Amino acid sequence: MSDWRRIDIDAFDPDSRLTAEDLIPSYDRQITLEELQPKMQQLRTLSSGGDTRNAIHLITQDPPYSADDNTKDLYFQVVLETLCQVRQVDIANIVKELNTEQQVVLVKYLYKGMSLPEGQKQGGILLAWFEKLTQSNGITPIVHYLSDRRNV
Amino acid sequence: MSQSLRPYLTAVRHSLEAALTLSNFSSQEVERHNRPEIEVPIQSAELLLQPMHISRNEHEQVLIEPSVNSVRVNIMVKQADEIEQILVHKFTRFLEQRAEAFYILRRVPIKGYSISFLITNKHTESMKNGKLIDFIIEFMEEVDKEISEMKLFLNARARFVAEEYLSEFVY
Repeated sequence: MSDWRRIDIDAFDPDSRLTAEDLIPSYDRQITLEELQPKMQQLRTLSSGGDTRNAIHLITQDPPYSADDNTKDLYFQVVLETLCQVRQVDIANIVKELNTEQQVVLVKYLYKGMSLPEGQKQGGILLAWFEKLTQSNGITPIVHYLSDRRNV
Repeated sequence: MSQSLRPYLTAVRHSLEAALTLSNFSSQEVERHNRPEIEVPIQSAELLLQPMHISRNEHEQVLIEPSVNSVRVNIMVKQADEIEQILVHKFTRFLEQRAEAFYILRRVPIKGYSISFLITNKHTESMKNGKLIDFIIEFMEEVDKEISEMKLFLNARARFVAEEYLSEFVY
């Protein structure tokens, strides 16, 4: 132990640093993929039936925050498909109908989409959503997104 | 400006506007130190905010990493072929060697990106937020133009040189 002065003693103190996991609020229970399947099915039916307005409302209500990363990714594929199926002219009207909570969820999905290779291929569509959202609400949803620790 | 570039730049502008709310924050780890929290090796999670990815396509992306007293902006410049890769590398390296003239430029880009900016609370206190954002947006606009211009110039020059050289062999 010649270099004992260099030992990071703070690392042994459990209260010294917070990790990313400490900041995520604790959930009573975890949503599993099986529980999400009906919602995913409903989303597919809505978007293929052309009822994109209701599909977007369904996406932005009650997102599966407590699910694990794998489930979230699978769920996100469906969300991305739905987002891409909305016609450009409808985006502005749909965005206007969303309340503040729903807008924050939408921003989360947009940023997540642009960070994944699947979403980057659809960059133009996600950017169109983003533009309409900031046109009607300014940077408020983004500020909410920045400090929100629950990720989708 | 092309039709798809505008939403990309406005998205970056709005994200930066939201992220550039920095305050003075002394280090929690070391007494009397004041360092950009996003650059600290052992990071405290509560000081970092959610990162923001903005991408136009696979080749053009911006990653904004905000924290309590600093924001790191990483830009991936479009590189379609090997010539453009070399040009972007040389161009960003030229700027990075003169980083102190640009104040907010980071000397080394983050892995996977072409160029990085680091904005701390010192910068936002001494400079106008709006102008800082304008600078980054203008940089993004100009760098694409600059690279494609250099590529055209390079090709023209290579053609001229080749013609001159090969004309020696025509009898």
